[in-house]
Amino acid sequence: MAKFKIRPATASDCSDILRLIKELAKYEYMEDQVMLTEKDLLEDGFGEHPFYHCLIAEVPKEHWTPEGHSIVGFAMYYFTYDPWIGKLLYLEDFFVMSDYRGTIEFGIGGSLKRNQSLCSMHFLVAEWNEPSINFYKRRGASDLSSEEGWRLFKIDKEYLLKMAAEE
Amino acid sequence: MASTRIREAKERDCGDILRMIRELAEFEKLSHQVKISEEALRADGFGENPSFHCLVAEVIPTPGELQGPRVVGFGLYYFIYSTWKGRNIYLEDIYVMPQYRGQGIGTKIIKKVAEVALHKGCSQFRLAVLDWNKKAMDLYKSLGAQDLTELEGWHSFRFEEAAMRQLAE
Repeated sequence: MAKFKIRPATASDCSDILRLIKELAKYEYMEDQVMLTEKDLLEDGFGEHPFYHCLIAEVPKEHWTPEGHSIVGFAMYYFTYDPWIGKLLYLEDFFVMSDYRGTIEFGIGGSLKRNQSLCSMHFLVAEWNEPSINFYKRRGASDLSSEEGWRLFKIDKEYLLKMAAEE
Repeated sequence: MASTRIREAKERDCGDILRMIRELAEFEKLSHQVKISEEALRADGFGENPSFHCLVAEVIPTPGELQGPRVVGFGLYYFIYSTWKGRNIYLEDIYVMPQYRGQGIGTKIIKKVAEVALHKGCSQFRLAVLDWNKKAMDLYKSLGAQDLTELEGWHSFRFEEAAMRQLAE
């Protein structure tokens, strides 16, 4: 894979970002779970108080996908807060289309590092996703769930509404 | 009978918040990991673009009681984003001092965060808990929480600074 460019996403990239989100969800067997729309991505990422930031990987015309897409990878991140350390970068999603893997991932990683003063990076990986687990572990990542016993819990909207109704 | 109220933290609460952050880390057997200072909390939480939001649980004294209101618990949260569902809220830390537990203060804090979540258009509320903290897991489950690590196999990973520098080179 010869040339590619990593750059911050703009509002006009939202349809490509959604396309890649759906492709990644498909790879994780969770395609039907994607509820987000292009309108949500636009409002939430390019409004007054963005909820997320996005880097995209773009290739020149000679390497466009068969469907004519120039955008072949993305990384979506936002900032969280660890009360023990301070502001952290949280990598929500990171995906490069299969035909373009090999170098673009490192380009995105490098961009993230150079553009932000990072002291740590957190993300989730599904326990059955062995290739990803090995990729991250080989590069020094720790599995906090296995090593320290952390479990992620969620409370869905219907229970939030129940709680609010009880107040 | 003293009553408790949950209110938004103010900058002057940072001393109490840091004290409780340390108490919670000690409870989690991870106190060696606390590096933050009161100044950093003030700057990060109460500046123009706060990196976190915080609620505190305050015990209001009964009339005649000599001691003033005291902060006995906190909930520190921020907004996150799911590529599947959009806006979410993440409760990073929740803590009630041991002598004030069993009165429903933790539940009150969670309910207040749930209200904030709905007000801001969030579709989900997330939090992490240690697998040996059965009391906390039971409380969250009683409020409708599900264990995603158990149900869907999600593991939390982290790159520390040194590993990240290598990754970027």
